[in-house]
Amino acid sequence: MIQVERLTKQYGSVRAIDKISFGVGQGEIVGLLGPNGAGKTTTMRILTTYLSATSGRAVLAGHDALDEPLAVRRKVGYLPENVPLYQEMRVKEYLRFRAKLKDVPRSRRRLAVSEVVSRCRLTDVEDRILGHLSRGFRQRVGLAEAMVHDPDILILDEPSSGLDPIQIREVRGLIEELGQRHTILLSTHIMSEVEAVCGRVIIIAGGRIAIDEKVEKLRIDKAILVEARGPAEPIRNVLLGIDGVNRVTITSRDTGISGFELGTQGGRDVREAVCQKLTSNGWTLRSLELKRSSLEERFVEAVTGDGADPSKVKAT
Amino acid sequence: MRHVPTLLARELGAFFLGPMAYIVLMAFQVIALLNFWELVDALSQPQREFSSVRDPMTTYVSSSPLFWFSILVAVPLLTMRLIAEERRTGTIETLLTLPVSESEIVLSKWLAGVLMYLALLVPFALYLPFLYFQARYYFDLGPLLSLGIGLSTMGMMFVAIGLLFSALTRNQIVAAVWTFVVLFLMVVLTLLLYFYGARQQAGWAEAIRFLAVYVQVRAFGQGQLDPRTIALHLSVCVFALYVTVKILETGRRR
Repeated sequence: MIQVERLTKQYGSVRAIDKISFGVGQGEIVGLLGPNGAGKTTTMRILTTYLSATSGRAVLAGHDALDEPLAVRRKVGYLPENVPLYQEMRVKEYLRFRAKLKDVPRSRRRLAVSEVVSRCRLTDVEDRILGHLSRGFRQRVGLAEAMVHDPDILILDEPSSGLDPIQIREVRGLIEELGQRHTILLSTHIMSEVEAVCGRVIIIAGGRIAIDEKVEKLRIDKAILVEARGPAEPIRNVLLGIDGVNRVTITSRDTGISGFELGTQGGRDVREAVCQKLTSNGWTLRSLELKRSSLEERFVEAVTGDGADPSKVKAT
Repeated sequence: MRHVPTLLARELGAFFLGPMAYIVLMAFQVIALLNFWELVDALSQPQREFSSVRDPMTTYVSSSPLFWFSILVAVPLLTMRLIAEERRTGTIETLLTLPVSESEIVLSKWLAGVLMYLALLVPFALYLPFLYFQARYYFDLGPLLSLGIGLSTMGMMFVAIGLLFSALTRNQIVAAVWTFVVLFLMVVLTLLLYFYGARQQAGWAEAIRFLAVYVQVRAFGQGQLDPRTIALHLSVCVFALYVTVKILETGRRR
């Protein structure tokens, strides 16, 4: 549905995004993740033809963003960051106005507007003036506007920024629902949102793609945490001897108690073997725990570029 | 071009939902009243002679300083928000990602400005039937018609220039000031230069005379419907609109 090849955008001497390439298939919900200033909004603006790229290509629903901007715009629904709206219009009037401009045929217009109004739960405020609405409602009006012409692709720039937890849950539910009919590319810096909603995550840092993987795959990566009473170095050697373990790092060596983190091949669970080995060598096992690496850790790892220092990760 | 009526309706709606349109219209109504007062006063003194050059009707609109001053202030006020406001609030992003071409957007914004400008002239026309039917002053309709045409083409040009400056900035005040300066130069500076040149009997005085908007409109008011002037107004207008479309298009390459 979306094909991006070596996309680059240069603002003067600043390179906002640097030769990024990715693809989004039909029906996928993909999260674009990255710290502020990483190039998320720039990427989305290029995909929606608001900006043109310095070099590279973006093809959406079979149309090139640079050569056929009008065809692309017809296929894409876009929710910009901060949801700019005409303050003086009323909700329904605004949606009808946008539907007209988006070439929704006259016969279907009324139906299309009332459908998005009910899907975004705007029925109570449909005659209110946009400038008087709260942030959450404005966000929903923006979403309703983005999908009023039933586009193949929805591009949502931080759909849940500035919302309270209940509203975030509502918007999230709405996005999940939309994912059944549309291809969705959304940007955010809320990790839990990506884990809850997206099938795949693309992490951008410093204008480049750091990670592009399925969310389940990221979750599979796991580590085993071991604490035992005994000297650190000999225990480490024993642990390394266990079949399937390829990496052991010593995390602590307090008074007589040592801590380790084990990486295993293909995420194999070797907890029972660890227990057996340690007790047979006479070291008492204090704790044994399977840790799934969370998306947040991968994110920090990818963005800061240093290896996962657990203490640092927890602080963020 | 099928989106133009929709966009135009929203532009006019935005004008009338804010206070600006009413303030400007009210001010023009007051100015029309003052000018009409003056006109009636002049006409009620039969001992005063009017030469063919000083037609009383021209003092009503085309050579009234008050009228020119208010046009120079009102046009920038009407055009400043057209694009600059969309840039400031960010709605330009939603506008330029619609399946609507840049020329459709510019054309509908320009049309909205022109309609508002024409609405400003209505107060002046409002008084004339009273003069004709009640006071039985049978003025000539021809020059009035030619004045109307001339003021319309001039307004089209002025609004296009205002729109151009509105597209260049996100600050409405900056847009208004630039528009005012340019319109002021077109109306006042050309006139002063013409007087100066004519006194020196310089050759370029004739060229300036052709460009001076004030002289053009006065000529229209005297019934000289000069197609060259109309062509000039429309060419400047089309050029300014073309540049505005290009500004919006190249905005993508920022």
